[in-house]
Amino acid sequence: MGEVMIPTTPLAEPAIWIEVLSRLHHDVAARYRFIDVPITVGRAYDNDVIVDDPHVAAHHLRITRGENGALVAEDLGSLNGLYVDRARKPTKEVTLDAGHELSIGATVLRVRTAAHEVPAETPMLRGLPYWPSAVLCIAGVFALAALDLWLSETNEPKAIRYFTPLLILTVAVVVWTTGWSVLTRVFTGRPRFGLHFLIVAAGLLGYSVYSQLAEIGAFALSWTALANSSYVFAWLFLGGIVFAHLLAVNRARRPLKLVIALILVAAGVAMQTLKQSEYRSTYGQPALLSRLEPPALRLVSPQREQAFFTDAEALRAKLDKARTEEPAGGEPQSEEDDE
Amino acid sequence: MRASAFARSAGRGIALVFGALVASATVSAQSGSPAPPAAQPIQAPVPPEPPLMPPTPNVSAAAESIYAVARPGLLQIRTLVEAAGRQSSIGSGFLVSADGLAVTNYHVVSQYALEPKTYRLEFARPDGSQGPLKLIAIDVANDVAIVKVDGTDLPHLEFDPAALEDKSPRGERLYAMGNPLDLGFTIVEGTYNGFVEKSYNARVHFTGAINPGMSGGPAVTAAGKVAGINVAKRLDGELVSFLVPASKVSALFERAKTEPPLDLGHVRDEIDRQLVTWQGAFYHALGEQGFKAATLGPYEAPESAAPWFNCWARTNADQTPKPRAQLDSTSCSSQSSLYIAEDIETGRAELSHAYVRSVDLNPFQFAAFVSQYYGGAGMIRSWSRKRLTQPECHEDFVQRDDGGKAGPVMRTVWCARAYRDFAGIYDVAITTVTQDRDKEALVSRLAMQGVSYENAVTLAQRFLGELAWAK
Repeated sequence: MGEVMIPTTPLAEPAIWIEVLSRLHHDVAARYRFIDVPITVGRAYDNDVIVDDPHVAAHHLRITRGENGALVAEDLGSLNGLYVDRARKPTKEVTLDAGHELSIGATVLRVRTAAHEVPAETPMLRGLPYWPSAVLCIAGVFALAALDLWLSETNEPKAIRYFTPLLILTVAVVVWTTGWSVLTRVFTGRPRFGLHFLIVAAGLLGYSVYSQLAEIGAFALSWTALANSSYVFAWLFLGGIVFAHLLAVNRARRPLKLVIALILVAAGVAMQTLKQSEYRSTYGQPALLSRLEPPALRLVSPQREQAFFTDAEALRAKLDKARTEEPAGGEPQSEEDDE
Repeated sequence: MRASAFARSAGRGIALVFGALVASATVSAQSGSPAPPAAQPIQAPVPPEPPLMPPTPNVSAAAESIYAVARPGLLQIRTLVEAAGRQSSIGSGFLVSADGLAVTNYHVVSQYALEPKTYRLEFARPDGSQGPLKLIAIDVANDVAIVKVDGTDLPHLEFDPAALEDKSPRGERLYAMGNPLDLGFTIVEGTYNGFVEKSYNARVHFTGAINPGMSGGPAVTAAGKVAGINVAKRLDGELVSFLVPASKVSALFERAKTEPPLDLGHVRDEIDRQLVTWQGAFYHALGEQGFKAATLGPYEAPESAAPWFNCWARTNADQTPKPRAQLDSTSCSSQSSLYIAEDIETGRAELSHAYVRSVDLNPFQFAAFVSQYYGGAGMIRSWSRKRLTQPECHEDFVQRDDGGKAGPVMRTVWCARAYRDFAGIYDVAITTVTQDRDKEALVSRLAMQGVSYENAVTLAQRFLGELAWAK
């Protein structure tokens, strides 16, 4: 890092550290050790800390000790002033008792003494690395996809039928994971490939299991909507995966990331619902159970024939209502009936 | 692919013989058979008289004198687009009374009947005179319409007494007249071959060349009396044409003489009324004729005993590569189609059964195979946004009520759609898949067009009730 050691002689006063912080994440960019006040900060070369920031005055800030011995920072009459923490108004002078962050121009500084207490040491995570679970999950996804393909195989079996979708899935997972890793590396310096891989693999596995259960459940419970609403859950899983990826990049701004994920889900579901309803109104296709299962999987007891036809008769009112409405999106009916 | 189990025979297209000039020589296929209209051969110029039957000198002389007598009573009937003043379709017709009543096909005037503000009717006579036509009466089921020409003491044709009693002798020579393809009035010789056996609506089988534009023209006996009117022809045969029998034409003519003329503001209501009446009789007759049980594997399935069904069987056993589930299907389609407009045909019923059994599919794969035949609304004709509402469906597992034949649990879907133009009639299809075995299933479907909701429910209940285990 940019640490500069200034030769000192030991004194009774604890050493003073001036830390220049990065603009984006407020990490320490440079750290200077002093043993005595006053310390001056500015662009000019007669300062103790020189800041190459055009918005900083030649002599911007001076740190001294107040009457009670506490460190005090004062503005030396700069144009852009001194701001403490996130204050909206500049300050002339501030007592540095609680590790304040000082903004001068576009530069952020922090002043700490050697007496500053640091938090306890966090233990190293020496648990399992992420990738074995990720590989396990992705294997599950592949197995389910292959099983689904095999169980719907009604023609001559052909290897290419399995190979192509699985290859596409593999490429998609690799590209997706790499994209998130690059992003993470840009922000935090560590790609965290294993974690991102685990997130996408677990998400895909969750959705695969759900969609299979939904298909079978739709038949077993005679609940067609369960299978036909799978796409909503696909978007929910995608939203969850994106949220997890964003958290894996760093832990900051959780509400914002949650909102981003929710917007993605809402937009996706809205788009697909609209597309489906337009498809139905264009081609007049009803939403019916699309896949039957072996009869043994049926859980509900069958409707009595009489009840079935009562339900069928109930559709008549809907049809008669639709009849008098104009064709959806079509040309209006001729007017002769209205005379 | 989905419909293939219920594939109907190929190439049974029937064309109505009126010319739609917009599409040149194209005619709309009348039958609801799946043969696409494209199957209709674009006619090479057809000589006015068919050279197939070289006429003997005296027959030719007969045709000559018949044409000379009948000619003044003939009409060409044109439907014009009001805004453009040009014809959009043409047909033929003929005068049947001195005060100007004339006969043609309903389908010749259907555009005008449904949209009287967009179109108007005009006639042209062989002598070149033209004038407006009034629509007086229609009979949708028999495809007849009565129109009126202004005038008195007009030359007209009379009905053949034998034909009025449906007693014409088979083999009688008939002469069909009309204006084919807008080429000019012609006379065509042909033979009366009795009533079409499998048609629910009475149709005379006429062996002679009827072409687009001749619809509504008369077919007369050697004595010059009307035995029927030209209406349609088969596209997959040669000289296989159809006439509306004189008795049906005369019935509407007699009614038109006494009843007030059709209210042009409410033609749809009149068509609706006729369709409701027609389906009442048709589905009642279908029920009366009853069902006979066909055995398909371990199941017993109902087939209609009515004579006006055309049945076809299909199997996939001879396919290569060898199918992994064997499918044997029968599909029966009623010959009762009604033409209402270019994009509305109705009046057919279809009964299909497909017996499927696994060759080497496991139960899941077998269920996936059967799913191909389960999905979809199962209707006879494709959906038209302008004419039909979106289908509404109800699906569930169904168990037969106690008291009926012993039968399996069935996965059943009921779909219905309403006609936007006509209240009281619907298209309904019920499809059912047996759920008692994991490698065998019977997929059955009953599809009904232009049926009242009550009739649909009654017939569907009966249909389900007849699906049972074979004894």
